[in-house]
Amino acid sequence: MITVVITSITVTALVSSLATTGSAGVAQRNRAAADTVMRNYAEATKQAARACVPCGAYTVDYTAPDGYSLAAEPIDNWCPNVSEVKRITLSVTEPTGVAASMQIVIRAP
Amino acid sequence: MNARRACRDGERDGGAALLLAIGFVLMIGAISAGLASLVTSGVNNQTMLVAIRDRQYAADGAIESAITEVRNGISASKIDCSSDGSGATEIELDALVIRVDWQIACGVTRSADGLAVSRRDVVFSACVDAGSACADTDVLIRAEVNFERGPNGVVTHTFVQSWSVHQ
Repeated sequence: MITVVITSITVTALVSSLATTGSAGVAQRNRAAADTVMRNYAEATKQAARACVPCGAYTVDYTAPDGYSLAAEPIDNWCPNVSEVKRITLSVTEPTGVAASMQIVIRAP
Repeated sequence: MNARRACRDGERDGGAALLLAIGFVLMIGAISAGLASLVTSGVNNQTMLVAIRDRQYAADGAIESAITEVRNGISASKIDCSSDGSGATEIELDALVIRVDWQIACGVTRSADGLAVSRRDVVFSACVDAGSACADTDVLIRAEVNFERGPNGVVTHTFVQSWSVHQ
């Protein structure tokens, strides 16, 4: 009887460990994908700013993969004046709803 | 007599089963410990990945800010080849304070039509601010940028000559 109880508890622990590992793996994969999306978004924004002209606007040419959403703060796409830089906070939201943000700086060439 | 022997055999079997169960528990414990270590390692790797990304982009942004600062200085004739031509600036991005050391690197180059023209480059080195100049081993990004001046001395365009991410 004691043996059966011990074995049952152990098997339950094993199953829950495997489940935790599985969900952690999925979360890790999502974070890694979000990191790639964030880097690509940042590079696309910097690339767009390289074509900036005085008093002009830039257009970021990047589409997030399915399930990911992007946001930038400030939301306006005005080019910064040549004598100053513009700080932008980029945000990426994963399909699971987890969001990450990062600041970048752009300038007119 | 036979009944007593059967009872003794049953007790021996019970003991063996318990030993087997304990062995099973230990084996599963080892597997669970391995899985926990795997998960911890994955989480740590992820944290490190994000920290490195934030640091790289903070250094990137700090250099962009320093380029603009130097551009304004050159346009106002405060920074020139004849002056000392070096400086440092600190910028905070994503809760990281980045120091950028810059050094002017002037020279003479030949234009497409064969004329000798002055070249006004500045080398920027970004590192996490430690209160002193960036050591070579601590440099996150090093960039060389050319500043093109118009006839009135104002910088009309900047050209990135090199941009290397070290860490």
